[in-house]
Amino acid sequence: MKRLLNAIWTVLSSRTLPPLVCGVFLLTYIGIAFGTDDTLIALMAFTRTSSVLVVLLALIPLNSLCRMLLETYRHHKRRRAVNCKEVETPYGLFDESVTVPALPTFAELEERLNSEGYRCRRTERTLAAWRGISLFPARMIFLAAVFCLFAGILISLTTRSSRRMNVIEGEPLPTAKGGGGLVERISLMKSSGAILDKDLIVEVAQSDAGDGRKIFGLYPPSLYRGYFVYPRYLWIASVIRFSAPDIQPAYEKQSALNIHPPGKEDRLEIPGSPYQIFISLVKPDDGSDPYMTGRITFLFKILKGKNLLFTGSVPTGGEFVQDGYRLAIPDSRRMVKTDFIQDYGVLLIWTAAILFICSGCVWLPVAVFLPRREMVFVREHDVINAFSRTEGRRRIHAGVFHEALDLLEARQSTNP
Amino acid sequence: MVALKLIPHLLAWVGIVLVLLRGFPRSRSVITAVGVAGFALGVAGASILLRSYPGEISFGIIRGVVAGVFLLLWGVAVATIYRSTAREFQIFSGEKLVNAPGYAGSVAFLTSLIAGAVCVCRLPVIDGATLEFILLVLASVALSYALAYGAKAVEKFLPSAVTVSQPALIVAVVALLLFSSSSLIRLDIFSPLSMKVMKFAHDFVHQFFESMLIPDHLFIRTYLWGYIGLLFGKEVGFWGGLIIWFTPVVLILLAIRFEIMPSVAHIRQGAQRRKVLAAAIRERRYRLVIPLLALLIFAAAAYRSSFPSVEYWDPKPLPVLANEAGEIFIPRKGEIDLEDGKLHKYLFKQGGKEARFFVLLTPAGQLTVDLDACAICKPDGYGQAEGTVYCYYCKTLIPLETVGKPGGCNPVPIPFTVKEDGVHIDGMTMINIWNTTVQATTGTKGGGK
Repeated sequence: MKRLLNAIWTVLSSRTLPPLVCGVFLLTYIGIAFGTDDTLIALMAFTRTSSVLVVLLALIPLNSLCRMLLETYRHHKRRRAVNCKEVETPYGLFDESVTVPALPTFAELEERLNSEGYRCRRTERTLAAWRGISLFPARMIFLAAVFCLFAGILISLTTRSSRRMNVIEGEPLPTAKGGGGLVERISLMKSSGAILDKDLIVEVAQSDAGDGRKIFGLYPPSLYRGYFVYPRYLWIASVIRFSAPDIQPAYEKQSALNIHPPGKEDRLEIPGSPYQIFISLVKPDDGSDPYMTGRITFLFKILKGKNLLFTGSVPTGGEFVQDGYRLAIPDSRRMVKTDFIQDYGVLLIWTAAILFICSGCVWLPVAVFLPRREMVFVREHDVINAFSRTEGRRRIHAGVFHEALDLLEARQSTNP
Repeated sequence: MVALKLIPHLLAWVGIVLVLLRGFPRSRSVITAVGVAGFALGVAGASILLRSYPGEISFGIIRGVVAGVFLLLWGVAVATIYRSTAREFQIFSGEKLVNAPGYAGSVAFLTSLIAGAVCVCRLPVIDGATLEFILLVLASVALSYALAYGAKAVEKFLPSAVTVSQPALIVAVVALLLFSSSSLIRLDIFSPLSMKVMKFAHDFVHQFFESMLIPDHLFIRTYLWGYIGLLFGKEVGFWGGLIIWFTPVVLILLAIRFEIMPSVAHIRQGAQRRKVLAAAIRERRYRLVIPLLALLIFAAAAYRSSFPSVEYWDPKPLPVLANEAGEIFIPRKGEIDLEDGKLHKYLFKQGGKEARFFVLLTPAGQLTVDLDACAICKPDGYGQAEGTVYCYYCKTLIPLETVGKPGGCNPVPIPFTVKEDGVHIDGMTMINIWNTTVQATTGTKGGGK
């Protein structure tokens, strides 16, 4: 059992695991690419449904946790060795180890290492020397970032739920269980920010179900009953009333029209009749956006089959009447096609982005200017076990270490 | 003329044999003999394949094998860099495999097989003539025999200090195979790779925006969207493709350059230590020679792929108008014969908007109407080459058999009806599909040439 657990631990904490898992996903991606062009979307969908791929993906955050534990343990042991507190000889914790015949005292060696800029700590049995700052904190932040990133992707892939709804001015906010607060106002305005061109504000009143008053913007997305409110597209919800000599009674319905910005055309088919109406927004002469100003005038084309009957324009509240045909638009409201998304992986992915930046900011100056260099000399009977490790400036540190060993052996030969 | 075109392929194979001879110095005879057999078998096998399945399938299979070899190189490169990062770190040393008796022969056989198959793709397909087929195989045996023994003779003159490590051997062999395949546009993998990268970047940006709940371009400042739009350009595909292309060889170079020096802590004379280290550094420099040459070969392959020497049929778009009912009509016969198998381009303008499309008779005898643009690239349009249409933007070849089918870099098909008199297309549908496609691929309205 212990051997099995050891084997599992070895696999889970192995540095080869993440590239292997990524390799499997890469191969899957390539395989899917032969079958479809929307490869990334297909891979995401496939991963969502395949428990094997989910488990495989879960191995990466698990591996990050295991690496954090393992590296913390090794760091702690090494620190104890450098602090001369470790009772056991620190085999396997350093890059290089060598055994040399020993001198009875470390005094001269300590002086020599001090002159090289190393700080030293000496006990009767041990001499430790070090300089620079450890990259351990940067490494931990990096591993935490990897954990957050892949855990976020995993959570996002497996638990994300999304519903696209119409949020219309003057109507309740659509929610899964109903009873959402009334959408009091939707306003679109020019933004003064550097990133967003427009600000969209959706004001929702307090609901009877106990939800407080809410104001939703574009970014960062706000939560409503556990769902992120993610505005996608600007539409117009208009009541269209149409009658023709051969249509009685008149057709009347509120229609969601995908006609913003001006120039975009939507088609409305009158059910059970050969009529279809093409509608678009009139672009105001002053160049303003009708969605912002609320002054909405429609361009229309009425077709019977393939024959064009009329074209013209009609403002909200107005009507067009000719030859027994009547088209009226008594009411138009702003509408936002909105995705209600439940996905807590997003938070982890953003956290990962911040952690990656922090890790890089710590790693770069430390690795360049103050890399950690350590050496430990432990006396055991008539020999000294010497250990060395460095996180940068390898050649210079190796030179100092080798000279320290030369010194130890030279004194040994001059003091038989 | 054909013989001249074969020169790059044959040179690539000679290079492969040279590298293998240097990489496996104890198996020279085996490599020469098996290499010749593999090359001849590759020629014979690919020749049969091309005769049995003329068209895209055969080329697709051979291109798939070449792509698989490149993928293998990636695996080797990642393993090599991992292995080199720590003294105690071992993934799979592979030493047992490398020292196995059949390993050198197997590598020589497989690489020669692929090289032979690539080589024969340059030749015109032999239709049913058995005698010609036999002559081709015999010629390939004779030629490869002469070249292999030539390579063996040349190898003896190479400096003995230039050694080949296993990763360097693999990277050199793969570089030469890719160089060989890149001179055939239908076997080239760099251009399809660039296109896939471009598509991936497009999908990734889209998915990233959706996943991170970032507002769409509608709400984002134009200048910023312009920068984001750069990610949809062919430059991203090209540079991304280059990164994927060169990364394996760079990883192997880095692995060799930064491999940990042998431990000299046990040596007590400083001079002796420096001598050992200097020897290790010198030996390491020599081991960099082959991967550096491979880097140059990779660059040459990418260049050949990016600047192919092929000419295209690219007619000027003819203006067309819609009738009152908004229908575009193109007569079947007239000034232009729609059924002549050539690509016929048209330009439709309506209300300040325009759309470019083409009509083509596919090899299956069906007329197809498609936008002169695809759903991925900027709308630079298509030209027609033998058996294919060619995307000017990403340089992808689309077999004529698949034109009219949606997806990838295929031209976006347009709904239409064919009647006795000609082709009828709904103008608004045309404009809408063009606008949707162009907006998606450029992040702007309009565009194209």
